[in-house]
Amino acid sequence: MNMPKRIVIIGGHAAGCDAAAAARLTDREAEIIMLTNERYAGYSRCGLPFVIGGHIKSFQDLIVFPPSYFKMNRIDLRLEANVTNIDVKAKTVEVQYKDGRVERLQYDSLIIATGARAAVPPIKGREKRGIHVLRTIDDGEMIEQSIKDSKSAVVIGAGLIGLELGVALLERGLKTTIVELLPQVLPAMLDKDMADLVQRELEKKGLRIITGRSVDEIVGDDRVSGVSVAGENIPADMVVIATGVRGNVELAQKAGIELGETKLIKVNMRMETNIKDVYACGDCVESINLITKRPVVCQLGTTAVRQARVAGINAAGGYAIFPGVLGASVTRLFDMEIGAVGLTEAAAQRAGIEAVSMSLSGKTRAQYYPGAQPVRVKLIVEKETERIIGAQIIGGEGVAQRINAISFAILKEMSVRELARAETCYAPPVSETWDPMILAAQALLRKLK
Amino acid sequence: MVNIEGYEILEGLYYSKDWMWIKIEDGKVRIGVTDYAQKQMREIVFAELPSVGAQVRKGEPFGTLESVKAVSDLVSPLTGRVVEVNERASGSPEVINEDPYGEGWLIVIEPANLEEELKTLMNFEQAVEWYKSVIRER
Repeated sequence: MNMPKRIVIIGGHAAGCDAAAAARLTDREAEIIMLTNERYAGYSRCGLPFVIGGHIKSFQDLIVFPPSYFKMNRIDLRLEANVTNIDVKAKTVEVQYKDGRVERLQYDSLIIATGARAAVPPIKGREKRGIHVLRTIDDGEMIEQSIKDSKSAVVIGAGLIGLELGVALLERGLKTTIVELLPQVLPAMLDKDMADLVQRELEKKGLRIITGRSVDEIVGDDRVSGVSVAGENIPADMVVIATGVRGNVELAQKAGIELGETKLIKVNMRMETNIKDVYACGDCVESINLITKRPVVCQLGTTAVRQARVAGINAAGGYAIFPGVLGASVTRLFDMEIGAVGLTEAAAQRAGIEAVSMSLSGKTRAQYYPGAQPVRVKLIVEKETERIIGAQIIGGEGVAQRINAISFAILKEMSVRELARAETCYAPPVSETWDPMILAAQALLRKLK
Repeated sequence: MVNIEGYEILEGLYYSKDWMWIKIEDGKVRIGVTDYAQKQMREIVFAELPSVGAQVRKGEPFGTLESVKAVSDLVSPLTGRVVEVNERASGSPEVINEDPYGEGWLIVIEPANLEEELKTLMNFEQAVEWYKSVIRER
């Protein structure tokens, strides 16, 4: 008689939970053990800034997978369980539990979903009290505490988290400044022309944004009192550092698991590492960009759950593949939605792709219909093949689904010529006869002539 | 009916700790999953149910429910023989989400040992207390 397979998963969030769910759907008998060093499992990190902004009632509301979910699916969830070692030869992991007990767990398949941690650059004064990062519910609760005694804040970093958090702090009544080292906001997502629009809108709402400047020092005695940027002292009762995340790859690396050129875990299309029966998914692995075919860092929730599903199916004995990413992403800042997919012009240039772009503005509904919102679409096309390789959209509504449509177009290697002729739906309260993304395609075609 | 933080528990039913409810009807027993269970599963996309005539045993699975991210065994709260199966629940399982205590019932069995086995289940008041503790756990 066959013993049920034992699948051990290290990590209990987007990637870990979805890997467990997929493994359970694939193998009804397998023993599934999930280990996380946190106090909570299965909550949405992406929702954290929106709790701080007051749009979601409590951090507890972010728990997508409550303890009963794990019971119902017979997933043995172990919280505050710290994996200290992986032995890929013996196929064991060493776990240290909260009570100090150490256990060596045998596995048939292992899924590494160790995620990432907030990367804190070596800024002078970063050890002071009142300085935060935002990655976990615990981080969120500490920020919440700080907000209560603060009138002003500085956020370092103007990526997605930095901006979402900056908006949240302003919404909570703090005088908020965002400082970004690069010359624009959302540098990984938008080109500068589109980023400048976002920045202007945010500034109109009362955020102060400083780009192209580095933080010299976080000042204050024991507790932070301000941030020094290019000789100016910006008063701040609290500081949040949002300069990106770093993959938790040390455990894997120590076990002899290969890292790729991005310094994240390297996997094949089945999400298997260089070691047989060891899979990895989520923020700790690198992805293949479907346009450049090169390894990239794509630490998005959508990427994590898609990779996790594939890792879970394969770890449980099924077959699935994850070919790569386009990096489709979206957010909402105040009443402005911002989305992007594929390569920016700048990223295309870095990848050696000769690109042509076009951007234009339209309306989200018939222009005479009350509540019609402006929407700006930027399309990026490879000159030689006329293939669409990227898009950036900023608008008052309907951004996400347009990004999705262009994501499908890129995936199917659609040319801008085909997009220019594509059919879209129309009724005055919900769209225009010519959707702005189609108009952008038509305008880009003329430019290619 | 009581509502515990958005999850409904009905009077007049018995409950198992495997998320099932039972309703005694003229010596037969109707079985389904609780409102809490269906809400945890979210959109149920597949229900695998036994055939009429099949034997079910207390504590053992008689079928499965599948949603996008979850798969849950249906653990029988009682021993007996299946006399009726809800074709609607297997044909369009969203009915389990829409009406878990009504149209979304799963099977009807002829119990073999109802009196004894009933003692192991929770009545309404006990179920309310138990579900409260489960819900508070998060």
